[in-house]
Amino acid sequence: MDELDATIHQPVRLQIMAALCQLNTLRQVDFTFLKTKLNLTDGNLGAHLLTLEEKGYIEVEKTFVARRPKTFVSATAAGRRAFDAHAAALRAILKPKTS
Amino acid sequence: MNISPEEAARALGEIEASRAAMRATIRGFRGHYYLWLWGGIWVAMALRAEFHALPGLRMNHWLIYPGIATTFLILLYQGTKIRSPVNKRFLGVLAAIVVFSFVWPLVLGHSANAKSGFAYGVLVPMFCYIVAGIWFGCYLLWIGLLISALILASLFFFPALFWWSVVLCGGTLIGTGFYVRYFWR
Repeated sequence: MDELDATIHQPVRLQIMAALCQLNTLRQVDFTFLKTKLNLTDGNLGAHLLTLEEKGYIEVEKTFVARRPKTFVSATAAGRRAFDAHAAALRAILKPKTS
Repeated sequence: MNISPEEAARALGEIEASRAAMRATIRGFRGHYYLWLWGGIWVAMALRAEFHALPGLRMNHWLIYPGIATTFLILLYQGTKIRSPVNKRFLGVLAAIVVFSFVWPLVLGHSANAKSGFAYGVLVPMFCYIVAGIWFGCYLLWIGLLISALILASLFFFPALFWWSVVLCGGTLIGTGFYVRYFWR
């Protein structure tokens, strides 16, 4: 049975993971774009991304586009598995128990 | 970790809201701009070929170059928000296909027939679509197969190749663009 993941369950991280897992595995999303979509501040999003990165749930790639620094974020395979398991555990809580 | 059913329901609601917002966003990044652009270019090329035959066919690069430039502009603009990292091996494969497909006809001599020349010019990019579709596991495979089949059928069985290309082949690209933009979930 799937178990709840305390790292993902935090509301902002849950939003981040749900958004990132919606993209296909090849795609990365820009930090600023994600911040705007989730209505977060730089510091708030950065802190939560760091937590998720330390757990190996996301990958952060820093690069330059037209000489400007850009940060791109994507969910890892482990992150996708953990998120799916967490969502399954949430659904299991809502299912009526059969005896 | 234990939570109440109410909290679980709230968390699932947040997941769905976040997914729905991202789904709406990524609808703008599904490749429909490229399909509309190249579908439109294809229609214009087929019409030029219909009305000007070989001279029209030879002038088609004046449609292709702006198309390539516009493709890169779209790529650059969209890449600032959501991007796929450049796959150098895949680009190498595409470059090899394009170079070989243009070099060999020049070396071996090519047909002066406007229709077969036009069909060849369509089959090469469709071959690239098929390779891209297999490589990335996406809908380009089916577009490539469908249009290749349509262009070959029209070349061998229908005399009005260019009109057929405008309606069915250019139309397939433009129609697929509308489908992936507005109906694909």
